[in-house]
Amino acid sequence: MQSIDDVRHALLAKVVTSDNPRDILKAAEIKALYSKLVTLDPSERGAYGKAVNDLKVALEAAIVAREAALDDETVQSLDVTAPWDVNTGPVGLLPTEQGTQHPLTKELEVVIDIFTRMGFAAIESRQIDDDFHMFETLNFPKDHPARDGYDTFRTEEDFIPPAHTSTMQHRILKDGKAKLEAGGQIASVSYGRVFRNEDVDATHEHTFYQCEGVFVSETATLADMLGTLQAFFEAYYGQTLKIKTQPAYFPFVEPGLEFVIEKPAALGGKTGEWLEMLGCGMIHPNVLRAAEIDPAKYQGFAWGGGIERLVMLKYGIEDLRYFESGKLAFLRKFVS
Amino acid sequence: MIISVNWLKKFTDIDLSIDELTTLIGARLVEIEKVIDLGAKYKEVIVARVVECAPIEGTDHLNSTKIDDGGVRKDVKRDENGLIQVVCGAPNVRSGMLVAWLPAGSTVPETFGGLEPFVLSVRDLRGVMSNGMLASAKELDLFDDHTGILEIDKELEAGASFAAAYELNDYLLDIENKSLTHRPDAFGVIGFAREVAAIIGKAFTTPEWLANTHPIFAAKDGAVQSPTVTIDDPSLSARYQAIVLGGADNTRQSPLEIKTYLARVGVRPISAVVDVTNYLMMLTGQPLHAFDYDKLVAVSGGKPTIHVRAAKQDETLELLDGRIVTLSPEDIVIAAGDIAVGLAGAMGGANTVIDASTKNIIIESATFNLYKLRATQMRHGIFSEAITRFTKGQPAELTAPVLADAIRLLGEWAGAKVATGVCEATGMTIETPSITLTTERVNAILGTTFTTDTVEQTLRGVEFAVRVDDSTLVVEPPFWRGDIHINEDIIEEIGRLHGFDAIMPTLPTRDFSAVTPTGFDELRTHVRKVLARAGANEVLTYSFVHGDVLKKIGQKLEDSYQITNSISPDLQYYRQTLTPSLLGLLHPNVKQGYDTFALFEVNKSHPKSLGLTDENVPIEADMIALTVTAKKAQFGAPYYQAKKLLDYMVSSLGLTLTYTPIEHDQNSALSAPFEYRRSALVLDAAGTSIGIVGEYKKSVSKVFKLPIYSAGFEIESVKLYEAVQRLGNGYTPLSRYPSTERDICFQVKSEVTYGQIIEAATAVLKDIELETNLTPVDIYQPDDGTMKNVTIRLRLTSHSKTLTADEVNLVVEGTSQNVVAKLGATIV
Repeated sequence: MQSIDDVRHALLAKVVTSDNPRDILKAAEIKALYSKLVTLDPSERGAYGKAVNDLKVALEAAIVAREAALDDETVQSLDVTAPWDVNTGPVGLLPTEQGTQHPLTKELEVVIDIFTRMGFAAIESRQIDDDFHMFETLNFPKDHPARDGYDTFRTEEDFIPPAHTSTMQHRILKDGKAKLEAGGQIASVSYGRVFRNEDVDATHEHTFYQCEGVFVSETATLADMLGTLQAFFEAYYGQTLKIKTQPAYFPFVEPGLEFVIEKPAALGGKTGEWLEMLGCGMIHPNVLRAAEIDPAKYQGFAWGGGIERLVMLKYGIEDLRYFESGKLAFLRKFVS
Repeated sequence: MIISVNWLKKFTDIDLSIDELTTLIGARLVEIEKVIDLGAKYKEVIVARVVECAPIEGTDHLNSTKIDDGGVRKDVKRDENGLIQVVCGAPNVRSGMLVAWLPAGSTVPETFGGLEPFVLSVRDLRGVMSNGMLASAKELDLFDDHTGILEIDKELEAGASFAAAYELNDYLLDIENKSLTHRPDAFGVIGFAREVAAIIGKAFTTPEWLANTHPIFAAKDGAVQSPTVTIDDPSLSARYQAIVLGGADNTRQSPLEIKTYLARVGVRPISAVVDVTNYLMMLTGQPLHAFDYDKLVAVSGGKPTIHVRAAKQDETLELLDGRIVTLSPEDIVIAAGDIAVGLAGAMGGANTVIDASTKNIIIESATFNLYKLRATQMRHGIFSEAITRFTKGQPAELTAPVLADAIRLLGEWAGAKVATGVCEATGMTIETPSITLTTERVNAILGTTFTTDTVEQTLRGVEFAVRVDDSTLVVEPPFWRGDIHINEDIIEEIGRLHGFDAIMPTLPTRDFSAVTPTGFDELRTHVRKVLARAGANEVLTYSFVHGDVLKKIGQKLEDSYQITNSISPDLQYYRQTLTPSLLGLLHPNVKQGYDTFALFEVNKSHPKSLGLTDENVPIEADMIALTVTAKKAQFGAPYYQAKKLLDYMVSSLGLTLTYTPIEHDQNSALSAPFEYRRSALVLDAAGTSIGIVGEYKKSVSKVFKLPIYSAGFEIESVKLYEAVQRLGNGYTPLSRYPSTERDICFQVKSEVTYGQIIEAATAVLKDIELETNLTPVDIYQPDDGTMKNVTIRLRLTSHSKTLTADEVNLVVEGTSQNVVAKLGATIV
């Protein structure tokens, strides 16, 4: 009878050259090892059984590697420069009527288009950033309780998948400083993907989209902010809208507000129904100061809101998870 | 947080309807999530006196009672004395007591508004007719009380409305706490009432006892040793006060009205001693804690020595609720001598809990470092009413007046007497600043036209001290407004208290500079539309992937930024390319019955190897990835379908790409999913590689359960954009002369590529002064596979004349011969 080691060497050697390596698992040598097991003294069976098992694990790994190698040998090269495969003809596109653009990117285009026409430049937000841009320059000191509300992810290096598109605000202000001081104004929106470390359900996602805006000049007022946001939503919904506000607290603005619109007719709204659309406020002097903009001379407002909410309201979508699900059944409802 | 409107009314007049009130609070203070009409629940509850009470024979606990309702209830059967018969099983029922009667036809408040409201009827109980029931506190939905029916503790006439007697004709406002995180004052009824008064334009004065930050405490009337208090680290607590009271009766209950107020805002009444601390906390926002003095003395080894200190690493403490927590130096503990007796601000320790044997109690009135407490709250999962308030940053000035009132109430409700003087320690405190601002500045920020007088009156309304000098105001916020530091904070107060909605929206004064979307954004928008037109579906997938996905694709884990606090292993690593995310979507959609489809994504990826920007944040890669699949077998290799879609996409941008075979596995994140022998590097006109197109490795196909017919591409958007930028306008003038076309069929060895044939032909054609164009016609390979026939169509156009047959032949001949010479082809 062969020792376990002998069997291991012999079978592993066979695997490397076999065309049907999986058959080796059924080898007579292995059966023999198992039949020996029952003849052993119970005190020896544990160690012996483990050794046989280790052998099987090693064989399985070798078999997988051999199978991959065999698979690899069957791969044939293609003429990648050719327009189509041999003995076939021109390749067509897919049926155009089944093609769709994602509802979120489509809606972002609509939103950005309105802001562009209103004179706001648009930049995409980052998907990985640092504490400095995400919190520090936005007047969230270290250990500030308001940081809790953001449930941020962190990387090993302490980078942050941003929890709001405001992570671009400091950059926008810094870049716009020269223009401001040359007598111009800062008018920008930033848009993109943001992240919160939370469990996913029909109304919660750890990944979603926001669009936010910044306006700074020598004379910008809170009244201007209300007017600008009202103008945006009236353009977006194509009707005049009543607006109202609620006090809110965000460290990067002072005063801070929730902006609320009367539910538009397009969404089946009736008088007295209101929709909270976004957070907004006058940019906190510390935020301007962080970008070396003199808050005694310049003032501005900022706002930010989610894109999913606009899309869900527009189409009556019931589950937030669909957006990132890649389900064709969902995507194909949004014909271009 | 629940706010009772009736409780507010004890501190300010409210003469608005509930709708008007909540609208104003919503617009000027805080969002209200829900308004609960408490009164509806108690509408039919009547105060009645038990006149007769006799056991029902043959039952062990039922009594037949006759009650007097003052004759107020109609449609009820009465005896000759006008009394109503009600059966009651409570042990405490007796004649003479005042009770809450629920008549037949009324709904038991405990079930009111629930799924199965219990409507009472006239019932036969053991042969005795019962008209409704006498209610317990639990049935009245007030609080748990096992002693029996509720005994009314006020002198009332029978027939009085129970709701009116206990002010239960109330509305409860469910407040969204989050937007008050900076307002510790609003976490007490009095502070909230101050805001409401200001909002609705009523004058408000803080009750004298609360405004007095240096109260005179009652003289001591006992003989226990006074505790000493030390704050070991001044950053842990701004102020810690404690006093010992003796003689408190722990079995005493607080007045029913107080209990109903506590209950309606969500606090369970327990005993007079505990209720006092909770009542004052709800009223003022200042939490209090009671320790058993004698237990504390025993724990500290005979002396009442109190320390406020950082917990020691791995120090353990058994809390009141029996839970044993392991602490770290980030926690603050209250220690007796060296032994922890409480987790500061969070919960007391089991070793000093008040119980029936307690003789002397220590009442603690203190504030703690809110940042530390926040961490404690998260670490130990303690979300009590007290810590919710402590973490908002209660002012140190509040501890004394609240402690003084606690002593008063403990005396009244529980018979407690002051046994020691107040002992106290102070740590680091923050001065409230005085702020100078002008009315012009207020109006310049808000876009309003407030007068200095309006600004002044508004601030005085919430008890700010204001000195006016022309249009300059020097403002001193009251001690409870630690959130006020700068001009803008004051400006917010003005705007808010007046109502931001009263501000007329205007549009900013703008310059006339036109805004143009960036070319790169336009390219991405264009690509989305073109690919959708080509029949593909745009998806958005997560930026993070599971580590196993990276391993199985063959991307190196160390090239991904790793998320350390992810809620799910699926979100462990930043993705390095988009393709793996797309591959994960193919099988689920095939399973759903979709046959031939293409998915694409335009998004960012984050391979670590790209390094950092000059801001020291990771460089992001903008990518366009597509994958196409078919469940049923198709003619030809899927590679060509992916390539066709890519060609279509780039040709819409005016670009022509070159596809180069890949010699060996590239070992890069981008190429990892692709089988190099059936993939091509995609080069732009300048020869720069901008991406890859191809079929997937067999190992990858297995992992993702891909149909055999699957292929795709992934392109770097920025390089694509740069290639587009380099393009000329691409226009050549039309010729007035007809074009001539000739098909040429080359027989070549099977390993000769189509590209080589085109290259050899183009080498000749590029030097000819004609407009030339080559297109494929046919690629035929007989079964033996050693040779193939490639037919191409050559179109020649002259801009100066009609070409003769000889001229055409000459070009065709020259072109063909070069292919023959270079590639060993034969002309078929």
